[in-house]
Amino acid sequence: MDEKPSKIIDARGSFCPGPLMELIKAYKQGKVGDVISVYSTDEGTKKDAPEWIKKSGNQLLGIFDRQGYYEIVMKKTR
Amino acid sequence: MPNSRKTALILGDGASGTIMANKLRFHSDLRQLEIKVVGNSPAHYFKPDGVMIPFGFKDHSKSVKPTQFLFNHGVEYIRDTVTSIDVQNHKVKTINSGEIGYDYLFIATGDRFATDDLPGYDKAAQHFYSLDGALRLKEKLAEFKGGKIVVGQASIPIQCPPAPYEFTFQLEQYLKLKGLREKTEIHYIYPLNRVFTMPNVSTFIEKLMDEKGIVVHKMFNVDSLDPDSKTLSSLEGEQIPFDLLILVPPHKGQKVITESGLADENGYIDVDRNHLNYRDYDNVFVVGDATNLPISKAGATAHFESEYLANRIASEVNGNAFFESYNGEVACTTITGGQQAITLFFSYNKPPRANFQSKSDYFLKWTSSDTYFSAMLRGIM
Repeated sequence: MDEKPSKIIDARGSFCPGPLMELIKAYKQGKVGDVISVYSTDEGTKKDAPEWIKKSGNQLLGIFDRQGYYEIVMKKTR
Repeated sequence: MPNSRKTALILGDGASGTIMANKLRFHSDLRQLEIKVVGNSPAHYFKPDGVMIPFGFKDHSKSVKPTQFLFNHGVEYIRDTVTSIDVQNHKVKTINSGEIGYDYLFIATGDRFATDDLPGYDKAAQHFYSLDGALRLKEKLAEFKGGKIVVGQASIPIQCPPAPYEFTFQLEQYLKLKGLREKTEIHYIYPLNRVFTMPNVSTFIEKLMDEKGIVVHKMFNVDSLDPDSKTLSSLEGEQIPFDLLILVPPHKGQKVITESGLADENGYIDVDRNHLNYRDYDNVFVVGDATNLPISKAGATAHFESEYLANRIASEVNGNAFFESYNGEVACTTITGGQQAITLFFSYNKPPRANFQSKSDYFLKWTSSDTYFSAMLRGIM
């Protein structure tokens, strides 16, 4: 991943829809161009968050498997 | 009374605080444990009836009782308002009683509506989440002659997550009975990519909505509300004009929780999900909507949490070992329209199954205020 997140949300241990709601909250508080990363252990979020990023017209930079959790990274484009 | 008598202090006189106090009284010895409840609600409203009252499907007088008469013998009810909670020094401050100390503290302060978070809400939106709101909405619906109704929630979390879809089904039934269904579009908005939090229940509900001609807008996270043009806009860039907007208001935990340093600005308290303790405090517990647990904010949840906590504290006071834990167990009955309902049982690790709906479940829901006030609230069941 080339771009360094300007905001990291550690939602590990939180269940759906918690991590997605945290991501949306960070999106609302952020500015265009911000890179937001969310750490999660919830499998549902792995599907829900990318769908929301796409629907909201933002950019999914990647989904990365980490040790014991995964990281979803988005860029705020609107 | 011996000096070893302990004090259990319960903050809040809603469903969580009342059930907690009454269950604890049933399980514990009056000589060993005194129980005090601090709250400031003159009346106790059975909130699930909010999906009945706006349509005249139930008389609201059956949904409200005076708070002071709802506590069991041996529970001291203090009508007062808590201004700060000091968990390090085992005491709280109130407006009228000053400081009140405790051995065990149960925080059951619930949550509140934060309509300021959505400008225009008070001018343009209706809701059914309080008795006043439900009665105002009843008047609005009586005046309604057809048009476009939008139903949904302003944010997550809210109390009773199924209530928006229950209300939508009841609305559809009501409009049919009034002869207005053909003249009315019903639009249902939801923040996620489904119509309810739990995927398998969502599939069941979405199929019913489709059959009833309810227009669904998924991934609609409310961003703004324009009262003049009567338009609701989402973060995702969608706009829906409406004639009548029925929107569950944004929720937050109580201000006293945040101001006492027990939670962030959202006001929901971080608790041990299996033991309901606040952080590593052995004598501070959180029950009901005040927690940040990933389960429904509902009286049914508080009922199961209270059963666990009452057994645990009574065992501790009696000097007995207690090895059980709370597993997120909840049961609730939700309306699916046409005088039908489904009952859901679930826990942290066991998702609910939504296989069938029945009229008997609807009857259970319709009469649940009787069961609530006579047995559940008293800690009998």
